[in-house]
Amino acid sequence: MLTLASLGPRELRARLRGPGLRLQTGPFVTCVHSPLASLADSLGAMYAEYPVLEEGTLADFHVRLSGSTGLRRLLRPQVHFHYDGMAPFQPLPLGQAFPMFEWAMNWCVSSQAHSWLVIHAAVVEKGGLAAILPAPPGSGKSTLCAALVNRGWRLLSDELTLVRPGDGRVDPLPRPVSLKNASIGIIRDYAPAAAFTRPVADTVKGTVAHMRASSESVARAGEAAAPAWIVFPKWQAGAPAALTPVPQARAHIRLAENAFNYSLLGEAGFHAVGRLVETARTFDFTYGVLDDAIAVFEQLLAERA
Amino acid sequence: MSSPPIWRLVPGQGLVHRCHDGECVLFNDLTGDTHLLGQDVLDVLGLLREMPQAAAQMATALGADPQSDPGAGASILAELDELLADLAALSLVEAEAAVGAEVEAMPC
Repeated sequence: MLTLASLGPRELRARLRGPGLRLQTGPFVTCVHSPLASLADSLGAMYAEYPVLEEGTLADFHVRLSGSTGLRRLLRPQVHFHYDGMAPFQPLPLGQAFPMFEWAMNWCVSSQAHSWLVIHAAVVEKGGLAAILPAPPGSGKSTLCAALVNRGWRLLSDELTLVRPGDGRVDPLPRPVSLKNASIGIIRDYAPAAAFTRPVADTVKGTVAHMRASSESVARAGEAAAPAWIVFPKWQAGAPAALTPVPQARAHIRLAENAFNYSLLGEAGFHAVGRLVETARTFDFTYGVLDDAIAVFEQLLAERA
Repeated sequence: MSSPPIWRLVPGQGLVHRCHDGECVLFNDLTGDTHLLGQDVLDVLGLLREMPQAAAQMATALGADPQSDPGAGASILAELDELLADLAALSLVEAEAAVGAEVEAMPC
């Protein structure tokens, strides 16, 4: 299998500038075009082990990230995102090219991938069982996800949980974990061996950095998992790690609120969420210390063993 | 003196629902919303699925008897009126024409 690393930097840039880099992430193939050297470098660092498909392979998404032209290129360079020739977002400062790529990839999936129920949630797996972590920004979802995947859990996604409406299993979409502000230093200290991008300051989300997905997560991107727990996390300074059961009907409403395409799927989305809360145990989870949080997840797993 | 309204399900509502421990989620076929309801509210909607009826008839079907206990009956009817107004705001039920009007057959 051809991987991005096996292309080498020169071929990677040539594909990005020319016919497009056909990058496979989970079930999706994205054709990426870009002349930006900084984006090529970041892709090389964060997606080294991902499959790359040959020119001509059908792609689910066609994206282009390009720099400014004319005087703008010299005075205040920006990065522009195009999807199928459209520009759905305002340009961002050039230094934010890789964060923009990641956000744009999330947008492609959340706005197009309606063969799945797409939930705004991290999801990790161990022993074939998946823990889904839906939460709004600021809840510590990605921090907890990053900690779990550095302590033996497999990353399925830190942002988009793909639930098959047919059998309720979760398809992996492992991509770099997005960390913001204080979480960057916390996870750097917690997982010194992990690989990170250089932090990018002054984005709409503050300072952001991305942590590379583990080799195992990438290699097993084709292995779906059975949802066993739905955990709504909330980080609170000094709080003991504590699970509180959430009644299923209330969990249904909260999951629906966190799903991108719940209403679009209509009755199928209703039943997909319904089966999910009937299959998995549902909890609110507060935590203040990552090691304590990990111990709670290990306990959940042990109870299922 | 006006007659009490006859209530019915809004045509097109299939009452697709799932219940867990006394709480239910209901899929609204017309708006695509999902509502969190108590089992007792779902029971009221179930009565209207059987046939359009007035609040007093629903109260009797739910075990209250406005005739034999006027005080308690009035209280239940007031609660039902409030509930039905809330359900109407969600496009789940609607009031038909006053008593005496023909009751339309429910769609299959």
